Amino acid sequence: MQKNLTYAGAFLALVLLQIFLVDNISLSVYFHPLIYVAFIIMLPLDTPPVWMVVWSALLGLMVDVMTGMGGLNVFASTATGFLRPYLVNLVTGHAGVDDSSMALYRLPDKNFRWYIIAVVVMHSAIYFFMEALSLHHFFHTLLRLVVSDAVAVVFIYYFVKLFIEKILKR
Amino acid sequence: MYKLIEFLRRIYVVLLFLFIEGVALNFYANSSYYTQAKILSRAHSVAGGVQSSIFGVKHYFTLRGENETLAKRVAELEGELAYYRENDMNAATDSLTMEGIDSAVRVSLSQYRYTTARIISNSISRSRNLITLNRGTMHGVVEDMAVISPSGMMIGYVIGCSERYSVVLPILNMDFRTSGKILGDEHFGSISWSGNSPYKVEMTDLSKHADIEIGDEVVSAGLSHYFPEGIKIGYVESYAINDTQTSYSVTVRLAADMTKLNNVILIENIDYGEIKALENNPVSEF
Repeated sequence: MQKNLTYAGAFLALVLLQIFLVDNISLSVYFHPLIYVAFIIMLPLDTPPVWMVVWSALLGLMVDVMTGMGGLNVFASTATGFLRPYLVNLVTGHAGVDDSSMALYRLPDKNFRWYIIAVVVMHSAIYFFMEALSLHHFFHTLLRLVVSDAVAVVFIYYFVKLFIEKILKR
Repeated sequence: MYKLIEFLRRIYVVLLFLFIEGVALNFYANSSYYTQAKILSRAHSVAGGVQSSIFGVKHYFTLRGENETLAKRVAELEGELAYYRENDMNAATDSLTMEGIDSAVRVSLSQYRYTTARIISNSISRSRNLITLNRGTMHGVVEDMAVISPSGMMIGYVIGCSERYSVVLPILNMDFRTSGKILGDEHFGSISWSGNSPYKVEMTDLSKHADIEIGDEVVSAGLSHYFPEGIKIGYVESYAINDTQTSYSVTVRLAADMTKLNNVILIENIDYGEIKALENNPVSEF
């Protein structure tokens, strides 16, 4: 129960940080880090696939409603949540992700970093290319992706580390 | 039957995933900036207070620069006022000019009404950016009002209002369109943003007969009904004739710094409704 409340708190904190802090930083057209995807990253690795889809959709919905984006965040985050088990497999080389002994904090740091990069890039690639809706400005969109993801990956790495060290392991 | 249930049990996550993606995609495909503005103005009824205080903190740090801009603008307007006062006095002495029209009627003859608002949220990092203002229908803000900076530069127009907030479609939104022209020339082109730089917009379809030089001032042409004629948009940075040799494509450096906006002026074209009704149904009016 307490664990569920912790995750609910992280969910709210990330959505609020995204909307009230990150979205208010108007630095450049290339700076649009999508940090709320950290929630999908930090969900336990043994989360049943159906809950992955439901939580990811709810996360996207929350951000969509608060920012007025019509369905774009739901689309990107649901796809990311659905594909997360495959990304975990990809970076860890594990055959099955439903291995309950596998936990986020047991991942070696190198794998952990690749896992964050894979999820962030997957999510933002769907988001930015869907937003642009064409390959006409391909390099412009690519640059947005690289700049925004670099910031997002650094932020998410420390956010998830902090969450694991200070809350999950306590 | 059992096999079917077993099959569905195995793929129900995929089905749920496809269903959610289908709904989201459908909603995204059918959402225009009007629906986005509607959702955003509703959301701000809840979150507007927090947004407002965050922007308040940011605003505090730009007060100095803003005061200087306002002082300059006041000086300019004082100059203009003096000019009009003089004209007014001349007109009063000329009994034929304004005979029978008292001052109250003269004020109501003006086509535009002005009001001010403060920005509570603004983004430049999306392809379809929107700005939220802390004024809504209860403060007299209505849809289609033009939005300009305190120093008179084009920002956008209002596309949605709730009771206390309104949402603006800024020039930095790929759906934004208006007409512009080179100051001192009557040929006009279409202004839009390509999504690349927050400091530049494009003017396309400007007649090849237009008199254009780098550095020329680009102003609103007054054809879109939102903006009065002559609102400053920016300056010509570069231009090139298109492939069919019929018109210019112009890169315009924006006059307003869209990344540092705090206060705005809203302009209502009082005749807008009448003009729109006439355009939509021209025959029945005659």
